[in-house]
Amino acid sequence: MKRFTCSGCSLLCDDIIVQSDGLFISEVMGACLKGKERFDQVSAKNRITSPLIRKDGELKEVSWDEATKKAIEIIKNSSIPLLYGFSNVSCEAQDVGIKLAQKINGFIDSNASICQGKILNKAKSLGINLTTITEIINKGDLIILWGANPAETVPRLLNKVLFSRGKFRMTGREIKTLVIVDPIKTASFRVMGVRDLPLIIEPNKDIDLIRMLKEECCSVDSIPSQGVAGIDKNDLKRLLLHLTGAENGVIILGQGVIQPHPDYNLVEELLELLQMINERQEKGRISLLLMGGHFNMAGFDHVALSSFGVSGKLEFKHNQLIKTDDTLVSKIEKENFDSSIIVGTDPISHLPHSLSSKIAKKPLILIDNHHTATSHIAEVVLPTAITGIESGGLAYRLDQVPIELNKIINPSNNLPSDEELLNQLYRLINQGGSE
Amino acid sequence: MEFLLNSMRKINNDQVKEHAFGTEQSLEERLAICFINPKDFEKLKLVSSLHLKISNKEKDVIVNVEKDDNVPEGTVVMPVSIWSNRLSVVQNNELLYKNIAVKIEATSEPIMKFKEIINELLVKK
Repeated sequence: MKRFTCSGCSLLCDDIIVQSDGLFISEVMGACLKGKERFDQVSAKNRITSPLIRKDGELKEVSWDEATKKAIEIIKNSSIPLLYGFSNVSCEAQDVGIKLAQKINGFIDSNASICQGKILNKAKSLGINLTTITEIINKGDLIILWGANPAETVPRLLNKVLFSRGKFRMTGREIKTLVIVDPIKTASFRVMGVRDLPLIIEPNKDIDLIRMLKEECCSVDSIPSQGVAGIDKNDLKRLLLHLTGAENGVIILGQGVIQPHPDYNLVEELLELLQMINERQEKGRISLLLMGGHFNMAGFDHVALSSFGVSGKLEFKHNQLIKTDDTLVSKIEKENFDSSIIVGTDPISHLPHSLSSKIAKKPLILIDNHHTATSHIAEVVLPTAITGIESGGLAYRLDQVPIELNKIINPSNNLPSDEELLNQLYRLINQGGSE
Repeated sequence: MEFLLNSMRKINNDQVKEHAFGTEQSLEERLAICFINPKDFEKLKLVSSLHLKISNKEKDVIVNVEKDDNVPEGTVVMPVSIWSNRLSVVQNNELLYKNIAVKIEATSEPIMKFKEIINELLVKK
């Protein structure tokens, strides 16, 4: 029995006990429901173990040679390829993905750009502190979940940060206050105790709460008697006292906060509020933690930054990085691409229909280990090993801490890792299509 | 009736899990679904045999409906899936998954099948 890191979500729990003979996994201990599912996916019924090509409208099993030839043919016939995904693969695979994008003059972006990446870049530009899981465990006294529901997305996050006893405090859960701001009473509300603060906000009214907090930051005397955004005056007073009195507070932001609005930018206003509180706080500070879903959602920005000095999307022309105002969304919306290479993700399910229908119109190469809605649309499906179980590599945890993932068992059917497969495509392109 | 649609990840209505370990039937049962407040359920004169047609300027979708006390009145919640994303919106170059204005009505028409959605996309090739 050995301890391994779980790649079931972006928390990358490093305390999972796995019993294995190197061929099969016989027992997994300490994993949450999502983690257990990740290990079970090795033998899931939708596992892809052979390359596939669409022939007469149906995906058919073919040899690796035929599949890679078809993939290279699509790439060579494409002048503006789109590479997307890369948050369920290792940083090493992300790095090769970027090199491939440079080689084929493509536009490359990760799932982070439509998720937490947006907040990260704004927070960096405003100088907001990001915090780590360890910091919250050891020093945290206020945890605010805003539009985030970790109980169902990152299941062990609250175990770690809320129910833990830190090194530098005599007490644990007793001194940690949990505040949840959400229009829906999510599963995360179930862990709340008597001294915690559940705030059910009216849908689409987060901006009213943020603006009121910005105005009343220093005083609790002039909160409107009728409350704000469906939250009553006493709860608002308590929220203000927590925000201004916490020694080590953290706001954990979820997808609920990063929604666009034509009249204001919610994330920017929330970050300004944080900045304001931190400037006025005498004894403490409020930091930020971003809650991504995929296990290496944070990695792509780090890899892009270290390779090209730019975080997020990259576009290449004549094998050189160019400045672009395009985003993943604008590229797809304007149909400014003529093929796509999708790596470890399922855009046909997770993008709005108006975008997924445009992706579906162009030739699509899918690199993934499972059938999803996207594999039903793909021209070529190239299967790979599952990172963190059948292959190793580096990943960045949701708090931007790099964590090494190890191989536990050999992959089914000797499948290549994402990195190996992308390297093979890169080599084939370099050699003119044959190996 | 006009509602606000919120899509969110739910651990018991997870498309990755259903693709991996479920069947096409369980995928449709768990993902082609929405949750509404019991008061709205009554207002819409829904019964368990009826489905809900949710539409906006993008598209429409017919899904199963369940009562959920945790969902505020005037709001409909869908697990993130190929069904909910028929209604999610691109707004100013960004993706809107929450607080989407939709119209909902009870219907006896069958729910939209996974294959129907995929075939619709394949036809566009």
